[in-house]
Parts: sequence; C-alpha cells; structure tokens
Amino acid sequence: MDAEESYQVRLEVFEGPLDLLLFLIKKKKIDIRDIPIALITREYLDYLNHKDRINLDREAEFLLMAALLIYIKSQMLLPREQVLEPEEDPRRELADRLMDYQTIKAAVQVLREKEDEQLQVWKRSALTAPLPDGDLDLIEVSLYDLAESFFTLMKRRQEENLKVIKGKEVSMAEKMNEIVSVLKERHYLDFLEYLDDQETLEEALIAFFCLLELIKARLVTAIQEQLFHTIKVWLRKEAHVKVTHD
Amino acid sequence: MTEKLKEIIESLIFISVEPLTLEKMKEVLPDDPEQDIVRAVQDLAAGYAAGGGAIHIVQTAGGYVFSTKPDFDPYVRRLLQIERKSKLSHQALETLSAIAYHQPVTLPEISTIRGCDSTYALHSLLEKKLIKIVGRKEAPGRPLLYRTTDKFLVYFGLNSLEDLPKEDELKKLMEEENA
Repeated sequence: MDAEESYQVRLEVFEGPLDLLLFLIKKKKIDIRDIPIALITREYLDYLNHKDRINLDREAEFLLMAALLIYIKSQMLLPREQVLEPEEDPRRELADRLMDYQTIKAAVQVLREKEDEQLQVWKRSALTAPLPDGDLDLIEVSLYDLAESFFTLMKRRQEENLKVIKGKEVSMAEKMNEIVSVLKERHYLDFLEYLDDQETLEEALIAFFCLLELIKARLVTAIQEQLFHTIKVWLRKEAHVKVTHD
Repeated sequence: MTEKLKEIIESLIFISVEPLTLEKMKEVLPDDPEQDIVRAVQDLAAGYAAGGGAIHIVQTAGGYVFSTKPDFDPYVRRLLQIERKSKLSHQALETLSAIAYHQPVTLPEISTIRGCDSTYALHSLLEKKLIKIVGRKEAPGRPLLYRTTDKFLVYFGLNSLEDLPKEDELKKLMEEENA
C-alpha cells in the first residue's frame, strides 16, 4: 500500500460535508476565519474524486457544498470598488457554520465521555423498562394516538350518520361538564367507547374537542394500557379539587 | 430530629424508581421546612459519599437516586444477564448535541447545523425518548420543535441542562485539542 492509498479515508466516516471540510481545514492547519477557498475547494473535490463507490443520497449533500465553495470563490473574484468590510466577506456564513459545527463536535466528545461513565453505573430506573406480557403498562398517549383513535371511530360511523336528520345542539361547556361528571362517577372512561356512544357525529366531534381541552388544561390524562389497545381517560388526582370548585 | 428526617428521606429515595425531586419530598413532608429537607438530603448524600460503600446517592434530572459505583458494573450485568449496554451511534449523538445546544429546534435547523440530513437520527432519538416534540415553530411549514427530555439528563448523568459545558468552554476544549 503506497502513501497515497493509505491516506485515503472512506467518505462514509464523515457525517457530512461540514465534517469533511473541518477535517481538511485541520489537516492543512488553516484558520477557519480565513479559509483559502481555492486551496480548500481543490482538496475537497480531490477527495470526492478519490472515493471508489458513489452513494447518490449522500453524494448530493457533498456536491452541494462543492457548489457553495465555488460560488464563494466566484464572489471573491468579482472586482469591487471598495475593500469589503469583514462582515461582507462571502466566506463569513460558511465560517460561522463551521464554527458552530465544531462546537457541536466538541459537545459530542463531552457527551460520549459522560455516556461511558454512566454506562457503568446502575440506577433502579434502568431495571424497570421491560415488563412481562399481560402486565399493565401505562403509556401516556400523545395527541397523535388520540387523533388516530378518533379517525378509526369516524370511519366506523361514516354510514350510520346518514340516518340522522337533525342533531340536537350541544355546547362545549355542557359536554365538558358531562365528561367530568362521568369521570367522577366511574373514575375513567374508555375513549373509543365514549365517543361511540354519542348520538350524532357532531356530538362525537364536540366530545372529542372537549377531551382535548380537558387534557390541555391538565384536568384529565389519557392513558393507553398497552400499545394498540384502547385509550382510557382518567381524571387527574390534583384536578379533583379544582373541578369540584368550578 | 434531623437524623429522623434523614432516615425518612433515605427510605423515600430507596423506594423511588425515578429521581426523587425536592418537590416530591416536600409533598410527603409538608411540615418540615424546605431548608431542613435540603440539608438532610445533602447530609445523606455526603454520608454515602464518605462512607466508602458500594452505593451512593446521585443528583440527576433535578432529583436524587441511588446508584451503584462503576467498579461493580461487571457483576450487576452478570446478575441482569446484560452483555453490554448499547451506546448511541455517532450520528445519533451528534444530532442529540445539536438539539441540546440549540433547543427548541426544528429538523431543518438540525440538518443545517450538522450539514447533513438528520431525519433518521432524529426518529431514533424520539423512539429512545431522549428528545420530545414540544410544539411547532411559527415559520413557513410550521415545522415541529424538539427538546431534550429528563431521560436525556438521566442518561448522561446530568442534573440539569446547566451542567452541559458552555459554548465557550467547548471552544477552549477545541483549541487545546488543535494546539
């Protein structure tokens, strides 16, 4: 293996074009604030030419950077009447990005050290992760889970709704009170079942919005016992007092 | 009195799976003044640190937990039948750093900082619950905003985000390395 070959590093080891640029800058011992663009562009393109296999997905990012370098060089070649202020330097934005990226890389090192330390110490929270099948595994659900359940329901009710001629008027406030009183009585309600029980589509919609409002106000919480299971809505403990007073 | 308080707190920490916060302790001990509780926890932690035992109390994500010392890692792993805890990939860690230092931040912003597409890494971090969605940015396309979680703090043994080295400290670190 000759020197030329041994120097070659695979492009895959670089996270992206900024990573490669930083590597070249370090290798040439260049000041980031004063990058000789022509030199670094040549190095950069050399680098791209030297690698054997082409991965188109990643290639685009690297080519975009090459284009940017050439653009910066062209900006610098333009004849100007006045000497440029430092903040007008066409290289400035790239230099800022490189500096930012460099800080992130330093942070990566710090975090990696901390990770190594932490991997060797054990806390009880590390032990509770996998629960055996069948056990209650409460997952507080996100908005997306709720919306997904809601759409399943809507699909189920699509046809039947045609039969309804005139729905009764329901206000958000009424519905919210109704939900809270049901919750106080039964402690929890099944999200899908409850919406399914609503007489009309409109009422179901209102009930859904009410639930979202209540969750947002942190008066109730939505919990899924297991992935893909039904979502249950509980009154929050700390909310009990508040609701009774309202 | 303080001895008793220390022992109460010790048992609370012992039984807690998540880091036990001062707020939780205050809930359990409504009659004890906050500074007494704080002093008791600190005494307790110092006692463990000085005692030379296998366990100590660490402060992480704003709360207190018991933790084993690194020396016993091989034995604990043998007990739990865990070969090795997996580390984050370089890509994931870099994405996580970008989020930690720029949060709240959107995916396009992260990709710009790293100079490459970060979609995959972002999703794996979300799955690991090291980051979370905190809303949308009022910008074209209303992209989602991301933040690090408490689990992130626990994972790296940090008490709060303040524990991360400041940006100028990082710059100094780099200069030392470049020199």
